[in-house]
Amino acid sequence: MGDKEDKIFSVSEYIDILNSELKKYRVKVIGEVGRVDIWQSGHVYFSLRDEKDKSVINSVMWRSRYGLFGIKLKEGDKIIAEGYSDIYKLTGKLSFIAETIELAGEGRLKKEYEELKKKLAGEGIFEESKKRAIPMYVQKIGIITSKQGAVLADFLSNIGSYGFKIKMIDSRVEGQSAITDLLSAVRTFREKDIEVLVIMRGGGSFESLQPFNNELLVREIADFPVPVIAAIGHEKDVPLVSLAADLEVSTPSIAAITLGKSWKEAAVFLERYERDIFDKFRDNMESAHNLLGRSIEAIRESCEFIIKRYKDIENNFRVSVQNFKNTLLNKRNNLKIYWGEILLGFSSLIKKIYQQIEKSESIIVAHNPERQLKLGYSIASVNGKIIKSIKNVAVGNNIDLMVVDGTIVSQVKNVKN
Amino acid sequence: MAKENSENLNKNLSRLVEITEWFNNQDEIDVEEGLKKVKEAAGLIRSSKSRLREIENEFEEIKKEIEKEESENDDNLEIPIN
Repeated sequence: MGDKEDKIFSVSEYIDILNSELKKYRVKVIGEVGRVDIWQSGHVYFSLRDEKDKSVINSVMWRSRYGLFGIKLKEGDKIIAEGYSDIYKLTGKLSFIAETIELAGEGRLKKEYEELKKKLAGEGIFEESKKRAIPMYVQKIGIITSKQGAVLADFLSNIGSYGFKIKMIDSRVEGQSAITDLLSAVRTFREKDIEVLVIMRGGGSFESLQPFNNELLVREIADFPVPVIAAIGHEKDVPLVSLAADLEVSTPSIAAITLGKSWKEAAVFLERYERDIFDKFRDNMESAHNLLGRSIEAIRESCEFIIKRYKDIENNFRVSVQNFKNTLLNKRNNLKIYWGEILLGFSSLIKKIYQQIEKSESIIVAHNPERQLKLGYSIASVNGKIIKSIKNVAVGNNIDLMVVDGTIVSQVKNVKN
Repeated sequence: MAKENSENLNKNLSRLVEITEWFNNQDEIDVEEGLKKVKEAAGLIRSSKSRLREIENEFEEIKKEIEKEESENDDNLEIPIN
């Protein structure tokens, strides 16, 4: 301190040193809220008053923080504010910079809780119909909890080995300062590839669970893109986050068991299915074997039937062909017979004609006058009438004697008897 | 032509019958007429015989063809069945 004692600081420098030191002393202060001014900028200026001796400290809560806790400060509220002090250079005024606030006193907290619960319920945030089923065979799990304590170990020891891909964001889970962690963790997980989100913490008093009654956090959970499981231990009043979650369980181990359940059942099903498959396969094989046997028998019978039918058909065919052949032979024989008859008939016709001709020829030859004449006979006629009797002539008649090469004219000299 | 020939043959034969009947029915033969008829009959006999020979030849041709076909058909009549 020696050097510093001699050193002369500017006011600004000195305030900087003070502020730097003051910032190291983060404390929780309990007190009653005095006048509250919310500036246009959104920053909130209020005083905190000691209940007993009425000591007062001016306090500020920046807009960015004030909205986080769902508390609208009113004069007379008893609150616990966490933060540090700071001197404002321009006025030299010391203010307590509240980073978190929470309502102190169970009665008030309870009232706030009930009011918020009613409001959110009115919006339908806790509706059963809005709750999504926790998917089966989940693999990608997001966890928000504190690394401290047994919660995580409890969860992990119960989830089983089913190839889970677990992402975890460490977060404070107690006190108002947890709200920023929790909000940040939930918002981070919104962008992550997970199938289910699990928010966990061990049991605690109503006051210690206040972060889980935070309106912003509740809305984040209700609006989370994938189903959310809340495993937040509690006594009587269920944290609003748990009510907004798709599934609320009492302990991290139950959350773990829930997530592993479908896998575990799947393993059992698989075993059963495996057994069923083998049984059915054996049955099918047996059926197939029987069917095969019956089929072979049926085929054998069919074959015999077919062969018999074929033989019958072949025999019938042979008989038909033989019949046809016989018919042909008969027809041919008939033709031969007809032909023979035709031959005979024709020959006899020809013969008959020849005979007729020959007969005619012989008659003609017999009657041919030339033939007689050639033999030396002559034909005598008087006045063109053939002389057949002496009565046909008289002495003096001219007689024409026809001989083979001409006619001799002579005269009757005498007629003798 | 065949029909014509066939008709001629029939006519010739009828005429021959007429002539022979004429001769048989003559009590007194008219030599001149008889001679004419003889000559006509001789012509008829000649042409009838010639036509008959033609007919016989044609018939022989037909007979040969028929017998040839018949012997071929006899060869083809066997129908094999296995």
